[in-house]
Amino acid sequence: MSQLFANYGRSTDTGRTPAWDEMFAATGGGNEAEQVRPGYADLYEALSHMSQEELRGRADALASSYLAQGVTFDFAGEERPFPLDAIPRIVEASDWARIEAGVAQRVRALEAFLADVYGRQDAVRDGVIPAHVIVSAPGFLRQAAGIEPAGGVRVHVAGIDLIRDQHGDWRVLEDNVRVPSGVSYVISNREVMAQTLPELFARMSIRQVTDYPRKLAAALRASAPPGVEEPTVVVLTPGVFNSAYFEHTLLARLMGVELVEGRDLFCSGGFIWMRTTSGPQKVDVIYRRVDDDFLDPLQFRADSVLGAPGLLNVARAGNVTIANAIGNGVADDKLVYTYVPDLIRYFLHEEPVLPNVETWRLEDPGSLDYVLKNVRDLVVKPVDGSGGKGLVVGDRATPEQLEALKEKVSANPRGWIAQPIIQLSTIPTLVEGGMAPRHSDLRPFAVSGDGDVWVLPGGLTRVALPEGQLVVNSSQGGGSKDTWVVGTRAGEAPTPVVPQPSTRYPQAQGSIHPGHQLGQGDTFDDDDNRLRQQIEHQQQSLGKEA
Amino acid sequence: MKRLRVRHEARFTYQGNANASYNEARMLPRDCSGQQVLSSSLTITPHGPQFPYRDYWGTPVVGFEVLIPHSELCVIAESLVEVNRPLRLATRASWVEMRHEAEARCRLLEHMDQTARTDPTEEVAELARDIAASPRDPFDTAQAICEAIRDRIEYVPGVTGVGSTAKEAWVKGKGVCQDITHIALGALRAVGIPARYVSGYLHPEEQPEVGLTAQAESHAWLEWHSGSWMGFDPTNRIPVGDRHVLVARGRDYDDIAPVKGVYAGAEATELWVDVKITRES
Repeated sequence: MSQLFANYGRSTDTGRTPAWDEMFAATGGGNEAEQVRPGYADLYEALSHMSQEELRGRADALASSYLAQGVTFDFAGEERPFPLDAIPRIVEASDWARIEAGVAQRVRALEAFLADVYGRQDAVRDGVIPAHVIVSAPGFLRQAAGIEPAGGVRVHVAGIDLIRDQHGDWRVLEDNVRVPSGVSYVISNREVMAQTLPELFARMSIRQVTDYPRKLAAALRASAPPGVEEPTVVVLTPGVFNSAYFEHTLLARLMGVELVEGRDLFCSGGFIWMRTTSGPQKVDVIYRRVDDDFLDPLQFRADSVLGAPGLLNVARAGNVTIANAIGNGVADDKLVYTYVPDLIRYFLHEEPVLPNVETWRLEDPGSLDYVLKNVRDLVVKPVDGSGGKGLVVGDRATPEQLEALKEKVSANPRGWIAQPIIQLSTIPTLVEGGMAPRHSDLRPFAVSGDGDVWVLPGGLTRVALPEGQLVVNSSQGGGSKDTWVVGTRAGEAPTPVVPQPSTRYPQAQGSIHPGHQLGQGDTFDDDDNRLRQQIEHQQQSLGKEA
Repeated sequence: MKRLRVRHEARFTYQGNANASYNEARMLPRDCSGQQVLSSSLTITPHGPQFPYRDYWGTPVVGFEVLIPHSELCVIAESLVEVNRPLRLATRASWVEMRHEAEARCRLLEHMDQTARTDPTEEVAELARDIAASPRDPFDTAQAICEAIRDRIEYVPGVTGVGSTAKEAWVKGKGVCQDITHIALGALRAVGIPARYVSGYLHPEEQPEVGLTAQAESHAWLEWHSGSWMGFDPTNRIPVGDRHVLVARGRDYDDIAPVKGVYAGAEATELWVDVKITRES
């Protein structure tokens, strides 16, 4: 019996179906060791030889290593080590096979949807998704129409947020195909965990995450404009004050490419150039970590200094690839999310591998009334927020917050969705009082450059540190865990998950959608943005029309 | 049928120098039903590369940049356009047919939503609803709304600005074609008729004489969809005909601004515009 788990109990929430605990099949009786789920057996065994003091010593070493490396985040103006829990999350091979197939399928479908929505709009014509959902989506950018991305890829990087419900089933919570962040924590978490629990790395077969920068670099190079032999790739960051700046520097360094800011780039003669000490150098691929709105002051916010004026027209001419593409926000709009299962059936002729979370569309008749009446039992989210921004958990909100929310939702039903409060699965986490179950989610990352979608084996597990907390964002006291996808043992072939054919939109009857290829988003922390200085003016519109 | 030559010149003068100037011009007529462009070109001084493309609305756009310091920027659009819009019977959808069609197509539905420019005052919305309440089909309703709006707005240049909204112009009771169009769009959309903003030119003479060059201006009118798109010029209370040369379409003025851009340097102090139209045959 492990001393560490002596007081491990379920969350104290009552009156709800208990959360699925990922380590223990049941708690509070019987032989603890026998309740450990198979994937966690090695971890449990290692921990059972450890006292709380020893584990805490290792956790402290981990935190000081992060502080020394600068893996920190800004919490209320104070620089703190990014909270990484010393207990990893383990995902068994069979679960991973499902996640990998489901994430890749989702990305392929969203890629096809983006090509369609900025092109022929067949999905609207065929009644798969209503026209009003598209034209009212804040992320539907008409400036993106007519930009043909190299290789048909718009979603170079995706972060698909998953949760595990009360029955242990994986579900998609949201898609992020704009500027998804957090992968740097996956990489650095792994480095420091190898020092924290070295005995387990020797014993278990844990799949590597170190491939990520190489795969991303290859995908970015593959998406260069046609005919460019040795493409110059850059990472475009909003700058040092951005909350994800650490990630931007890490990815640029690991890929061996330049990290640039808007002021380092300029457009000329139909191309975009980087200022260097040896003169201008043509740039072929921009892995941008700047939001659409700030990318080109000629097209979007005229006061932005974070991008480069003229950039969109260079992309339109096919002389630079912007990764991820402009206008992807229409695909991760939360109202569009509710149609993704049908988009998968329609574009791929497959049944979805991973289900959505049940969601109310507030425009549906009766939905708004229901949600307003039952708001205490629901989570209400803005459709264009990411990473928990603007989200309200009904039973945690004050009466004032709920009133304000009701007003906002009634004024703009299109701007919101509602979901049941789901008890996210729990994982043992080292907190002040010892080992305790804490709610978590998982963001796997997918990369695509040439049509094949590669899913990083692992992903960012975020964990809500306060007891019972269901929002796992770092801005709300969230931490993270290293995510270990365990390989199958020798001689044991993994069972591949093959999507089932769709009966609603079978292959034969489906129209052919040429140019639908693959592609990817941001929410760990949104890239924040500064404003363009007053050195630039908008050209006065050319006179009043008579 | 008329063959019209249009010359549209815009000149920006800066106090001191401007540089790193990135712009887009929407000044060249487009091919569309009833109109064929025989030739068109854009001349920019100082000279620089041009990047032509068609935007989401189908408008021919020319992106251009001037990266050298300059105290003046001059853009001249010249075109020769054959216009032939014979009077024809309008397609007349019922209210139900019109709504049903609009709901199924992004390209119609997006012209039913108000923009910050077209958002009507309550008074305008009520006026539109009153007209729609009488037993007329969408086509007749749209025309009646356009005429009722025109009756209430006095054509007075210089009272409103290029950035004015429909609400502002309505409160003043005065404005020019841009304002009248924005107000009429707001009223049409308020009763669920898809309607879009159109920019272009209008030959000032009702019966233009061949070979004579007329002083003209940029003009604005609208198109509503009542089974098919119908062009109507609310300022002049006339259907769009052979004197109109169409350049750009969009939801409001912001989608069709003839020149927009950003640059570094001193503020533009002067803007000079000149439009000339000649009937060639």
